[in-house]
Amino acid sequence: MTVAAATAQDLLVVVRETAATNAMTGEIERSSSRSTVPLPASVTSLVLDAAQGSLYAGMSDGRVAWWRLGADGSAASPILSPPGAAVSAITLLLGDRALVVGRANGAIEIFFPLERGTDKSLPRIRAFPSRAGPVIAFAPSPRGKGFLVLDGAGGMALLYSTSERVLWDGRSPIPNASSLAYAPKADGAVVAGPGRAVSLAIAAPHPEVSWKALFGKVWYEGYEKPEYSWQSSSGTEDFEPKLSLTPLLVGTLKGTFYSLLLAVPLGVLSAMYASQFLHPSLKRVVKPVVEIMASLPSVVLGFLAGLWLAPLLERVLPALLVMVFLLPAATVLAGFAWGRVVRRLGARVPPGAEVFFFVAVLACAAGGCLGLERLIEARLLGATFPTWLLETFGVRYDQKNAIVVGLAMGFAVIPIIFAIAEDAFSNVPRNLVSGSLALGASQWQTVTRVVLPAASPGIFAAVMVGFGRAVGETMIVLMATGNTPIMDWSPFNGFRTLSANIAVEIPEAPDGGTLYRTLFLAALLLFALTFAVNTAAELIRQRLRRKYSSL
Amino acid sequence: MTGTRRWSDLAGRAMTWLTGGALALNLLLVLGLLALLFWNGAGYFWPRPVVLLTLADGTRVMGEIDDREPIPAIGPQAATTWRIKVKAGNRDLGGEEFKWIDEASIVSRSRPQNAIVLERVEWGNFYGLLAGRSADGTLVIETAGGERKEIPAAKIVREVHPNALSVWGKTGVYASRLREFLLDDPRESNTEGGIFPAIFGTVMMVFLMSFAVLPLGVLAALYMREYARQGPTVRVVRVAVNNLAGVPSIVFGVFGLGFFVYGVGGAIDRVFFADALPTPTFGTGGILWAALTLALLTVPVVIVATEEGLAAVPRGVREGSLALGATKIETIVKVVLPAAAPGILTGMILAMARAAGEVAPLMIVGMVKLAPALPVDGTAPYAHLERKFMHLGFHIYDVGFQSPNVEATKPLVFATALLLIAVVTVVNLAAIALRNRLRRKYTSSAV
Repeated sequence: MTVAAATAQDLLVVVRETAATNAMTGEIERSSSRSTVPLPASVTSLVLDAAQGSLYAGMSDGRVAWWRLGADGSAASPILSPPGAAVSAITLLLGDRALVVGRANGAIEIFFPLERGTDKSLPRIRAFPSRAGPVIAFAPSPRGKGFLVLDGAGGMALLYSTSERVLWDGRSPIPNASSLAYAPKADGAVVAGPGRAVSLAIAAPHPEVSWKALFGKVWYEGYEKPEYSWQSSSGTEDFEPKLSLTPLLVGTLKGTFYSLLLAVPLGVLSAMYASQFLHPSLKRVVKPVVEIMASLPSVVLGFLAGLWLAPLLERVLPALLVMVFLLPAATVLAGFAWGRVVRRLGARVPPGAEVFFFVAVLACAAGGCLGLERLIEARLLGATFPTWLLETFGVRYDQKNAIVVGLAMGFAVIPIIFAIAEDAFSNVPRNLVSGSLALGASQWQTVTRVVLPAASPGIFAAVMVGFGRAVGETMIVLMATGNTPIMDWSPFNGFRTLSANIAVEIPEAPDGGTLYRTLFLAALLLFALTFAVNTAAELIRQRLRRKYSSL
Repeated sequence: MTGTRRWSDLAGRAMTWLTGGALALNLLLVLGLLALLFWNGAGYFWPRPVVLLTLADGTRVMGEIDDREPIPAIGPQAATTWRIKVKAGNRDLGGEEFKWIDEASIVSRSRPQNAIVLERVEWGNFYGLLAGRSADGTLVIETAGGERKEIPAAKIVREVHPNALSVWGKTGVYASRLREFLLDDPRESNTEGGIFPAIFGTVMMVFLMSFAVLPLGVLAALYMREYARQGPTVRVVRVAVNNLAGVPSIVFGVFGLGFFVYGVGGAIDRVFFADALPTPTFGTGGILWAALTLALLTVPVVIVATEEGLAAVPRGVREGSLALGATKIETIVKVVLPAAAPGILTGMILAMARAAGEVAPLMIVGMVKLAPALPVDGTAPYAHLERKFMHLGFHIYDVGFQSPNVEATKPLVFATALLLIAVVTVVNLAAIALRNRLRRKYTSSAV
C-alpha cells in the first residue's frame, strides 16, 4: 500500500507498507518505508497509478511531474513537462497509460508517460477545446478512454481521448458542483455539490470512432509517435482499440497493384493475339480453356498459393526473375524458327498454330530455368535469396508475400481482362482492318496503329473490371499473405486487405458494437469502390458499342 | 528504304511472336495448374511402396517416401546433397510422423514383402512388419525399431501390403480409398477419412439456393424484357444488375450476416423460439441463410442468361401465338418460357457452379469446421434449415490452414481441391456446350 502526500512546506512524502506472506510457514512479514523529496513547486493535485509504480503531480506553475517509484517507494528525480497555466486537476484514464491535465484557464490536455528502457518522456499529445472556467474535477470512464470534466463556470462535458471527440457539452445539474464520479458500467454518473447529489444517465454508443480515428494518424497510448494502425482487440479490458482503415486500404491497393502487374500485360496481349492473329478454329479451342481459368474457385488458387507456391518461391525466386527475361527471348527465337520451318515445309498450318509450339517451348524454358536454379543462385548471388536480400539491402523476406499474391490473384484476374479485351478487339469493324492492310501496312502495324487505338476504351474498361475483381478478392489474400496490417510497399512482405480483414474479424465482432459497424463501413467502402469502377467501365463499353454500331 | 522496311518487318514479327507467347503462357499456366492438382490429388489414393532404411548409425526407419529435395547449402563449392522425407507414422509410439533423412547417411534400402500399412481410427498410419495375426483379428506388428505392438481389429480401418500387391491389387486399394474419401465421415479433426458431410452440405446448399434464385432471376428478367417500358428506368436496372455481378462476395456475406442472420433470424428467434434464447436458433449462421445469401450473389448470372434466352426466341413465334388469340401471359407461359428454357437452364448451371466455389460469404453466414449432424436426417421435421453445415471450399481452407498437422493433411487438401475443380469444370463445360448449341440453333433459324 502506498500513500503519497504533498505538504505545505512543498515536500513530497511517500509512505509504502508491504506485507509478504511466507507460503511455507504462513507467517506475515511486514515492512514499512518512508521517503521525503523536495518539490520543485507547490502541488495542486496528486495521482498514483493502480500498479503503485508511478506518481503524477500537477503544480501551480503549470508543470506536470512524473516520478517512477522504486520497490521501496522511493521517488527518483521527476520528469517535468514545460510550464504553463496552473494545473487545477489531473486524472489517469483507464489503463493508466494516459494522463489528463486540466488547468485554471480551462485548458484540457492529454499527456503520455512514455518509457523506453531507461529513456522516459512526458510528451503532450493532444488538447481539447478549452472550458469557460477553471477545471474543477475529472471522472475517467471505467470502460474506455473517455472522461467527464466539470468546470468552474458550471459546465460539464463528456470527452473521448483516442478519437479527440467532444461527445457532449452542457451544464452541470448542480450549481457550484465540486466532484464527479462515473458509474462502474459506464452508463451513468453522479455529480455532487453543496448539500446535493444528482445522478445522470450516459448513453455514448461509439465514442472511439471519428474521421481522424478511422483515416488519419493517431497517437495511440504507448507509441512513440502518431501512426496508422489496425489492431482491433486484445486480451485485456483496458486495451485501446486501434481502428484505422488506412493500413487496410494501402494493403488492398498493394495487392491489386501487384496482381494487375501480371494480369494486364498477359491478359491484354493474349486477347490481342487471340482476336487478331488466331484462326477461328483455334479460337474455339482457346476460349473454353480461358473460361475454365475463370471458373476456378479462388479458394483453390489461394490454397495452392499459400501451401505450394510460397515455399517453392522462397527457393526459386532468382530463377523466376531470370525467367522474366528468358521466356520472351525464347518465344521470339521459337517464333522465327517456326516461321523458317513452315516456309521450308510449305505446310498448310492455320495461322496461330504456333501457340501450341510456344506452349512446349515455354514449358521447356521454364523447366530449364528451375533446374538451373541452384547454379543461378550460386553464381549470381553466392547465397540463398532471402539471405542475400537481407545482407545486401537489409530487407526481410517473408515467405508469404506480395509476389505470391500477385501471381495467384493475377492468375484469377487474367481471364476477366481477357474476356472483355477480346470482346473489344473483335468488335473493331473488319473494314478498318481490311482498309489498313489494303493500304500496305503489315499485320503488326495494323494491330498497333488501327485496332489498338480503336479498341482502347474497351481495354480500359477491361482493366477497370479486373481492378474491381482484384480489390474484392478475399480467399486468395486470406490464404497467401501473412495477414499483417502493415503499411509497406515492399513486394517481399505481406499485407492485409479490407476484404480479408472483414472475413477474419466479423465472426468475432459483437452485433451492433463499434468493431462490427467499422467492418460494415469497410464493406461499404469496398462496395462503393467496385460500384464506381464497374459503372464507369459499363458506361464506356456502352458508348463504344453505340459508336461502332453506326460504322 | 528497303533496309528500314525489313527491320520494321522483323520487329513487327518479333512483337507478334511475343504476343503469341503471352497467350501460350496463359494456356501453360492453366494446364500446369490442372496437371499439378491432378498429379497430387489423384495420386493421393495410390498405395505407395514402403521402404526400410538402415542408417549409418545403426537405426532403422520404415515408411513411405514423401519428398526429395536438395539440401540448401551456401556457397558455389558445395556439391548438391539430397535428403528425403519419410512418412514414418507410428505417432502413438513417440517420435515424429515425418522424418527428414540425409541420403548420404543411408546404408541400405529394401522393400520387405511383409511390410504392412495400417490405416487406423486414431493416431494415423502404422508402418511395420507383420509378425502375427490372432483369431479375433488382432494384429501383432513389429516396427522398424524392433518394438512389437498389438493392434485390435476394431481400431483398423484398412490393412494394406503395398510391396506385395500387383497393379491389379493396388487398383483395388485405390478404389477402396476413393470410395472412403467420397462416402465416409472425416476422422482425426478432418485430417483423415472422407469428406462426405462436406459434399452433402455443398450439394444441399446449392439445391436450396436454386430454389431461391430461379423464381427471383427468371421473374426479374421476364419483367425487364417483356413488360417494362424500355426507357431510362430499365437501363438503370440493367446497370444495377451488372454492378451486382461485380460486387465482391465478402460484401454479400456481410449483408447476409447483418440482414438475414441478425435481422430476420433474430426476429424469428424472438417470435418463435423465445424460450431457447439467449442461445440462437435461427439468429445464427445456418444452411438456410447461406443459401439465401448465395442466391443474391448469383442472381445476376441467372438474370443475364434468362434475358439472353428470351431474346433468342424469334419474334415470329411470339407474334404467331398472339395472332392465334392467346393473351400475353398465355404466350409467355406456354410458348416463350419453354423456348427459352435451355437459356434459363444454362444460367442455373452457371449459378450453381459459381455457388459451389464461393467460400468467403459462407465463412460468415453458416459454415463450420465440423458439423455434428447433417442438415437432413431422420428426425422430424427432416430438413433442419437452421443447422450449420460443411462445405467443400471451406474444407479446403480449414484443413489447409487451420489444422494442427498441415504436412499430413496436404495430400487430402489436394484431393478435395481436385474434386471441387473437377465438379466445377465439368458443370461449366456443360453450360458452355449448352450455350454454344443454343446460339447455333437460334442464329440459324430463319424466322
